[in-house]
Amino acid sequence: MGRKKKKQMKPWCWYCNRDFDDEKILIQHQKAKHFKCHICHKKLYTGPGLAIHCMQVHKETIDGVPNAIPGRIDIELEIYGMEGIPEKDMEERRRMLEQKNQETQKKKQNQDDSDEYDDDDEPGPSFQQPAARQPQAGYVPPMTQPGMLPVGSGTPALPPGSYSGIPPMMPGVPPMIPATPPVMPGMPPGMIPMGGMMPPMMPGVPPGIPPPMGTRPAITHMPQLPLAAGVLPRPAVPAGPSVQPDVTKPLFPSAGQSQQSVLGSPHTPPSTTSDLTKPTFPAYTQSSAGLASPNAGSSTVSKPPSTVTSKPATLTTSSATSKLIHPDEDISLEEFRAQLSQYQCSIPRQGQTTSATASVGGMMAPQQHSMRHPIPGQYGGPQQGMPGYIPGRIPPYIQAPPVVPPVYQGGPPRPTIVTRPPVMSPGGHY
Amino acid sequence: MSLFGTSSGFGTGGTGVFGSTTTDSHNPMKDVEVTSPPDDSISCLAFSPPTMPGNFLIGGSWANDVRCWEVQDNGQTVPKAQQMHTGPVLDACWSDDGSKVFTASCDKTAKMWDLNSNQAIQIAQHDGPIKAIHWIKAPNYSCIMTGSWDKTLKFWDTRSPNPMMSLQMPERCYCADVVYPMAVVATAERGLIVYQLENQPSEFRRIESPLKHQHRCVAIFKDKQNKPTGFALGSIEGRVAIHYINPPNPAKDNFTFKCHRSNGTNTTTPQDIYAVNAIAFHPVHGTLATVGSDGRFSFWDKDARTKLKTSEQLDQPITACCFNHNGNIFAYASSYDWSKGHEYYNPQKKNYIFLRNAAEELKPRNKK
Repeated sequence: MGRKKKKQMKPWCWYCNRDFDDEKILIQHQKAKHFKCHICHKKLYTGPGLAIHCMQVHKETIDGVPNAIPGRIDIELEIYGMEGIPEKDMEERRRMLEQKNQETQKKKQNQDDSDEYDDDDEPGPSFQQPAARQPQAGYVPPMTQPGMLPVGSGTPALPPGSYSGIPPMMPGVPPMIPATPPVMPGMPPGMIPMGGMMPPMMPGVPPGIPPPMGTRPAITHMPQLPLAAGVLPRPAVPAGPSVQPDVTKPLFPSAGQSQQSVLGSPHTPPSTTSDLTKPTFPAYTQSSAGLASPNAGSSTVSKPPSTVTSKPATLTTSSATSKLIHPDEDISLEEFRAQLSQYQCSIPRQGQTTSATASVGGMMAPQQHSMRHPIPGQYGGPQQGMPGYIPGRIPPYIQAPPVVPPVYQGGPPRPTIVTRPPVMSPGGHY
Repeated sequence: MSLFGTSSGFGTGGTGVFGSTTTDSHNPMKDVEVTSPPDDSISCLAFSPPTMPGNFLIGGSWANDVRCWEVQDNGQTVPKAQQMHTGPVLDACWSDDGSKVFTASCDKTAKMWDLNSNQAIQIAQHDGPIKAIHWIKAPNYSCIMTGSWDKTLKFWDTRSPNPMMSLQMPERCYCADVVYPMAVVATAERGLIVYQLENQPSEFRRIESPLKHQHRCVAIFKDKQNKPTGFALGSIEGRVAIHYINPPNPAKDNFTFKCHRSNGTNTTTPQDIYAVNAIAFHPVHGTLATVGSDGRFSFWDKDARTKLKTSEQLDQPITACCFNHNGNIFAYASSYDWSKGHEYYNPQKKNYIFLRNAAEELKPRNKK
């Protein structure tokens, strides 16, 4: 510390010996603690000022400066901030500081690479480098990103086990901490402004910032980011496999059907109510022949009141406090419904003309109008209008003014339709 | 009228899905009923684009048909036309000029319906039911995007039987939305992929789902400059996530909120959690509407993060909704969505489509 100026040390209050970072703060402190009138609370600027105020306004005398340590209560000394402090008190202070410094310096020495001291002498006491370089320090809980917290519902904010994968992924780089401009130390500063630029949705722009799961692989490419080129492939590269499934791994072969130890997978989200996981479901991937494969079998199994556990292909739909109004199978409502025979597409079997009024499963029944399915081939007859649909309501839309690029009227596509049917009926499940 | 928090049981009639026949719980909101509704559950609704005068509504249903109504200014609805598929229709959309309607079905095909001539031709083919269909209008190309349960996303120039492009997805497509130049697809297994459509469609980013349950519906929203900037994603667990693509502060800007649940304050009985069946953004105000299996619709202001309104409970789930091009009309469909399985399906039960005046109720809440 240079000993050039009188006031080189941090500002300190003469009345109570406290240290302050800034002289302004020191003054505020003095006004509030030492120069405040106890009667009317008015803040004065100096001790004498306070004395005079009390005398004139309240007709009261003051003995000493309020809140001052013994020896420093002299109300006649005009001290303002650091100004007015008697020289000898300053020296006293300096001496005290020196002593303190020496103590801390001694300890400091041991950590320092400073060439003045021998490192091996001191047995490295417990002091860590002050303010070392805690890489993660100061980073906010990573998990807030997905924005789950604000809602704070039963489900813990932890985005699915996904994050469990991350720490190992990125040693020195903090996990996707959202956004404050400084973002990732790893990121070249040049990236940041780009981050803001989104709208044109040009790849390459946004990389680092939002990057939850999907960019996991990208993170490792961080250093490459500055190369616009490097970014483009990003979405494509990790593409298939790695992405997406924070929770799941690729579908299990349906054959398995086993109650896959879903829990075994580190990815299983610690969520509360339910969660889906690998649906061994795939009635879909199998060739349609299987029909309703997601069979109820595995699914309806259970509704464990507790949560977390979810067997493949099913959801945990109820818990002690809530109940999901949804079928157990982990498929969409439409998929569930479409499996039913009544909704199987009424693809005309060979030989039958289109009209397949063969109401499959009574689905057609409800329809009052004997609509003939305008299945390929039936399209001719522009006059069809709305056959039977709305009796009397003929005007087939011609009212609509806008001109239609009549590209399709009787255009080439027509003929293709006729060829369609063979394509359309592969197993014709749906 | 604006109910904060979940609406308590305001004495709505209708218990569960069946609904009682005594009270008028099929239309507790007293909205306009569309005439000649489909005979089976309605899967999708879409209003005509602003390029066409007037309002035309199309609705696809599980009865394999897609119907078109004209909605007149006085609220009257006039059935206009209908087309059929050979399987339930799962989605439908308009072309940008309003002359064509595209429909997607479980029969693995998509059709283009020319309304002027009332002809429909097949324009797409998948290996599985097509769950989502959208029209893309880019400066240098136009096409149809179809998302299917066969895990592919295909783009079709309607004049050719082969797709212009086919993108593989990790899982079956459950829902999608397009607002040029952005497209979002939510798949099974909580997959979430954003595509950019400039020049040609390409995968832009895969996003880790902000929700913990099966994805059910998605809708893109725009910023003040009318550019797509994020999306709302609904799940089967009565929750919607608002997610921005490139927010300044993801932790603070992205959030989720609960909706479509029963027993707001009553904690003694287990809460029933319903699926969010559809989400739609008001084209002018930017506020959003959600409809759920619980038979209610709610309006929300995502910027003020408040609920604007929740409806009374209908006796059936609400399966689809949409706004017309200027945001004056909100259409929602009341029909069974299979949320309680096969047992609760009643083929005799009538399905409805209601129209509601949306000009006032969706005004954003002023932020203080």
